[in-house]
Amino acid sequence: MSINKVDVAGEYLREVELRLSGLPVLQRHELLADLSAHIETAREQGAYSDGEMVEVLQRLGSPEAIAAAAYEEAGPRLVMAPPEPPPIRAPAPAPRNNNIWAWVIAAAVGFFVLFLIGVASLMFFSQVAEAPVPAVQQIDRPPVQEPAPDQPVPARPDGE
Amino acid sequence: MTDVAQLTSSLRRGTLEFCVLAMVEREDIYGTEIVRRLGEERSLATTEGTIYPLLSRLRRVGWLDSKWSESPTGPPRRYYSLTDGGRAALSNFRTEWTSFRQTVDRLVGTGGA
Repeated sequence: MSINKVDVAGEYLREVELRLSGLPVLQRHELLADLSAHIETAREQGAYSDGEMVEVLQRLGSPEAIAAAAYEEAGPRLVMAPPEPPPIRAPAPAPRNNNIWAWVIAAAVGFFVLFLIGVASLMFFSQVAEAPVPAVQQIDRPPVQEPAPDQPVPARPDGE
Repeated sequence: MTDVAQLTSSLRRGTLEFCVLAMVEREDIYGTEIVRRLGEERSLATTEGTIYPLLSRLRRVGWLDSKWSESPTGPPRRYYSLTDGGRAALSNFRTEWTSFRQTVDRLVGTGGA
């Protein structure tokens, strides 16, 4: 049981660390030290069992939530550089402890994908608005013909 | 995020840090204890782990000071104390908040008068 307890907290801290790669090294280590001390204190004060440690970690919050707060508090300069996506290395035969985070991670990934889609569509429509003349026509058209002047007709985006 | 959670999050933004400053106004408190006390305030709905980055920022802007100290029973504890700058910021917030709250109460009709 003791080994299991270490694994839950250790795995949790690794999950957090994976998401902090965009932070300055000292801030990253500071946060991890704070979280380690928090976990150690909880353990010292009675979170002996695996289940109790999981509760402590749930109150701490998901690694995603903590990383998001860390980037937000780090300042706008760092927020501009998006945090690197969590590497999905070592799929690791998931022990049952992972069940708790599974849906949390799934939800976070879902939100992230929605966000990406939103950004992509914004960029797409702004490009369409800025460049009404399709580049393909300009390139393919033989030079003999007079190049069409700026046409107000946009490129007819599919499924507008 | 539900509407209620969204509202709480918005209200918390910009005020929580002064709750932290006030907490260490009269005594130095270690980080885990600050986090726990805020976590117990249901209406703040804080996620405990997100307080540590906040403490880090308050230290970087010079409102809090921190030092690690050995604990008689457990792991070393990181104690936070209010700096002169933090004291001034807290004092300023109290003035601003009082006036802000009165205005909102008047406009929203929560003043009870």
